[in-house]
Amino acid sequence: MTANQVSSPLSRFRREPAGNGASVAAGDHVGEVIESETTKFTAQARELNGAPSFGCLVQVDGEPVTLGLVFNASTQSMEANRRPVAYGKTVEELRREQPQIFELLRTEFTALVVGYIQGGIAAHMIPPQPAPIHGFVQRCSDAAIRQFTAGDDFVRTILGAAGVPTDELLIATLKQAIAAHSGAGDYLVRIGKELSRLLSDDYDRLHSLIRRLSQ
Amino acid sequence: MTGRTGHLAGGTQRGVRLGVITRGSLVEGLEMKLDAAQNIEDMKAGKFVVIEGDKNDFFSMVTDMRLDSTNQEVLLHPPEQGDELLRQVLSGTSTYNIVSLRPMLMMPRLLGDSLEGPRPVKAIPSHFSTVEEAVEADVARIFGREGDDEGRFFSIGSPLDMETPVCVDMVRFAERSNGIFGKTGTGKSFLTRLVLCGLIHYDRAVNLIFDMHNEYGFKAMKETAGANATFVKGLKQLFGNRVAIFSLDPESTRARGVQPDHEVYIGYDQVSVEDVAPLQEELKLNPTAIESAYLVYAIYKERWLRTLLSLEGPDVEEFAREIGAHPGSLVALHRKLKRLEAFPFMVAKVDDGDVVDRIMECLNRGINVVLEFGQQTSMLCYLLVANIIARRIHEMYVKKSERFYATQRPEDQPRQLMICIEEAHKFLNAGAAKQTIFGTIAREMRKYYVSLLIVDQRPSSIEDEVLSQIGTRITALLNDEKDIQAVLTGVSGTEGLRSVLASLDSKQQALVIGHAVPMPVVIKTREYGPGFYREMGSSTDLPGDERREKVAAATAALFGE
Repeated sequence: MTANQVSSPLSRFRREPAGNGASVAAGDHVGEVIESETTKFTAQARELNGAPSFGCLVQVDGEPVTLGLVFNASTQSMEANRRPVAYGKTVEELRREQPQIFELLRTEFTALVVGYIQGGIAAHMIPPQPAPIHGFVQRCSDAAIRQFTAGDDFVRTILGAAGVPTDELLIATLKQAIAAHSGAGDYLVRIGKELSRLLSDDYDRLHSLIRRLSQ
Repeated sequence: MTGRTGHLAGGTQRGVRLGVITRGSLVEGLEMKLDAAQNIEDMKAGKFVVIEGDKNDFFSMVTDMRLDSTNQEVLLHPPEQGDELLRQVLSGTSTYNIVSLRPMLMMPRLLGDSLEGPRPVKAIPSHFSTVEEAVEADVARIFGREGDDEGRFFSIGSPLDMETPVCVDMVRFAERSNGIFGKTGTGKSFLTRLVLCGLIHYDRAVNLIFDMHNEYGFKAMKETAGANATFVKGLKQLFGNRVAIFSLDPESTRARGVQPDHEVYIGYDQVSVEDVAPLQEELKLNPTAIESAYLVYAIYKERWLRTLLSLEGPDVEEFAREIGAHPGSLVALHRKLKRLEAFPFMVAKVDDGDVVDRIMECLNRGINVVLEFGQQTSMLCYLLVANIIARRIHEMYVKKSERFYATQRPEDQPRQLMICIEEAHKFLNAGAAKQTIFGTIAREMRKYYVSLLIVDQRPSSIEDEVLSQIGTRITALLNDEKDIQAVLTGVSGTEGLRSVLASLDSKQQALVIGHAVPMPVVIKTREYGPGFYREMGSSTDLPGDERREKVAAATAALFGE
C-alpha cells in the first residue's frame, strides 16, 4: 500500500479481497451498501462523483445476488453539520489549493431493487432478503444485462415502482439494454410492443417514450 | 397434447402460423387476430387456411379483414410519416388486424383415423386455436388428387398463393346442371374450355356445345392486352376423333383452316311452332301471332312454315281468311318469319339426312359435338338453331331413357349428355324458361341423363327456379349486386362469399361452389397451354424425341413390330 492510499479516508475501500471466496474483486466494485431496504438500497460510491450512471444495472453480491437499477445519486458533506461553501474557483484550482475539502465529501447512490440472481437464473422479483449491508456493489456485465433484459418483465417492474422517475429510468435502462443486445432494432420493437400493451390507455406517454428511445 | 399443434395428422409440418381465433360463432363465422409478424396485405379474400382445434381441423376461407385499435387516441394522433419504430411498436398491440374466417369443412385430427373424410361444420374451435396457412396435403385431403380413383378428379386450378391443384369431382360434376358465370372478359370461355376438356378427357359425359363465337372447336384467340394476340388449341385439336365439328357456316369454318365434319342445314319442315315461340322477343312477335301459327300448323302440320313462307304479300290475308285466322296477326307473323329465309342454312328441303340424327349418332358413339355458328352470330339464329336441335335431342333422350328404365339392361343406359349453351339468360330468363326446351332440361332432365352447362354473364336474368337447380357454379368476377345474389342462390352461408366474389381478379381467378367440390374455393385457373395439352394426351406439342417414340409405338401397335 502506498502512503497516499493509507492517508486517504477512502482507503478502506481499496484493500485486497479477504480471500474468503467472495466473488467480487474489491477493485471492481463501485460502492458499498450503507442502507438497505426490501425495495431499494443506498450505497456509498468508492470514489467521489464515482456513482454509476443513472439507470445502470448493478448487483450486490450475496445469496441471492440482488439486482438494482440506479435511480438517484447525491454528493454531500460527510458531516451533516458542515455544508460545502462556494469558493469561486475552478475545480482544478481548488484541487491545487485546497485538496482537503474533497476528502470531506462523499457520493451516495440509490438503486431500485428489480430482481435477483439465484443459481445463475435471473428472477424479476423482489429478493427474499434485502441486500446485505456493507455488501459491495458492482456494475453488471453485458452478459448479465442481456440475461436480465431478455424478457420483458422488467419493464413492468419499473413502471410499477413508486417514488422513482419512472419514464426516465425506463429510458436509461432500455438504452443500456439495447447497447447490450446486438440487433437492437428487433429488440426495441419487441420491448416497445410490451410497453404499448402496458400503457394501452396512455398513448401520449407511449409516444413520448418511443420517441426518446429512438433518438 | 405435445406435438399436435402445427402438425398434420400424418405428422408433417404445416404452413406458417397466421394468428389465433379470438371470437365468433357458428352462424356468423370466426374472427382471427392476425399475428403482428404477418402482413395484413397477404390475407387476401378467398385464401385457404386451416384452424387447428383440439379435435378437428377446420378448413376455412378468408372472407373479410378489419383494422382495429384498442385506443381512440392512437387513431386521432397516428404516428408521423417517418416514425417507423412507433408504427412497428403499435402494430399488433394498440393497432391490430382482425381477419374474418368462414369455416367450410371440419375433419377429425386423430391419428390414423382416415375413414372419416371432410364433414360439414357443426362445431367451432375453442378460443385461441391457432390458424395456419393450408399446405398441399390439406388441399389434397379435401379436393382429392388428379389421378386418384380412376380419373374422377380433374384439376382446374390452384388455391390463391398456392401451387397445389384443386380438383373438381367430374363424376359429381356431370350428374347435374352446372353454371359458369362472370363478366365479359373475365375468362368464362377459358373456364368452359377447361371444364369441357375435363369431361372429355375422363369421358364422364358426352358434350353438345352450341359454340356461338367459334371458340371451342378449333383454335381460339387468347385475350391478351395489346396487339400480340395468340391462339390456343380447341377441343378438336386436343381430342381429334372424339370431337366432331358441325358448322352452320362452312365457309367461315374453312376460312379458319378447318374442314367441318358436317355441314348443318335445317329444313323448314324441321321447325315447329314451339321453336318459334321462344323467339317472341327477338322477332317482336305478339302472343296472337303464335296462336295464328298454331292455326296454320293445325292444317298443314310440319309443312306449316314452308307453306306460310311460300306465300307472297297480298296472298297472306286471303290465306288467313281461308284458315280462319286474324289477317293482321298472320300478316305480321309472315313478315317477321320472312327473316328466317335470309339464313343460308335454312333450306326448303334437306338432301343429306336429318342433321339432328347425325348429331345423335355422334353422341351415341361418345363423340362430342361442337356446333359452330361461323358468321351467323345473330341472337335470333343462335336461339332458333339451339332450340330446334336441343328439342329434338331432348325427345330422343327421353325415349332412350324410358327404354332403359323398361329393359334395365346396362347396354341401354344412355350416355350422360351435357349441353353447353352460351348467353344462357336468353333461353332461361323468366319468360323464356317456360317456353324453351332448356328450361325443361334444367329443371327435370337429370333423370333423363341430360344436363346443361350454362355459360352466362348475367346470371340475375336467369330464372330463379333454374338457378336453384344448378349443381356446381364456377364464377369469375361479378360486380353487379344482383348477379352476385343470383349466383349465390341456393348456397348456404353466403355472407362471406359475397365479398370474396366481388374481389376476385378480373383474369384467371374464379370461385368454385357446389356439388362437385366439398367446399367453396377460390382458384387461380389452370394454365391452358402446352403443358395442359400434353396432359390431355395431345401429341403435337410433345418434344421431338418423345413424339417420335409415341408415333413409333403407335405404328408398332397398328402394323406389328
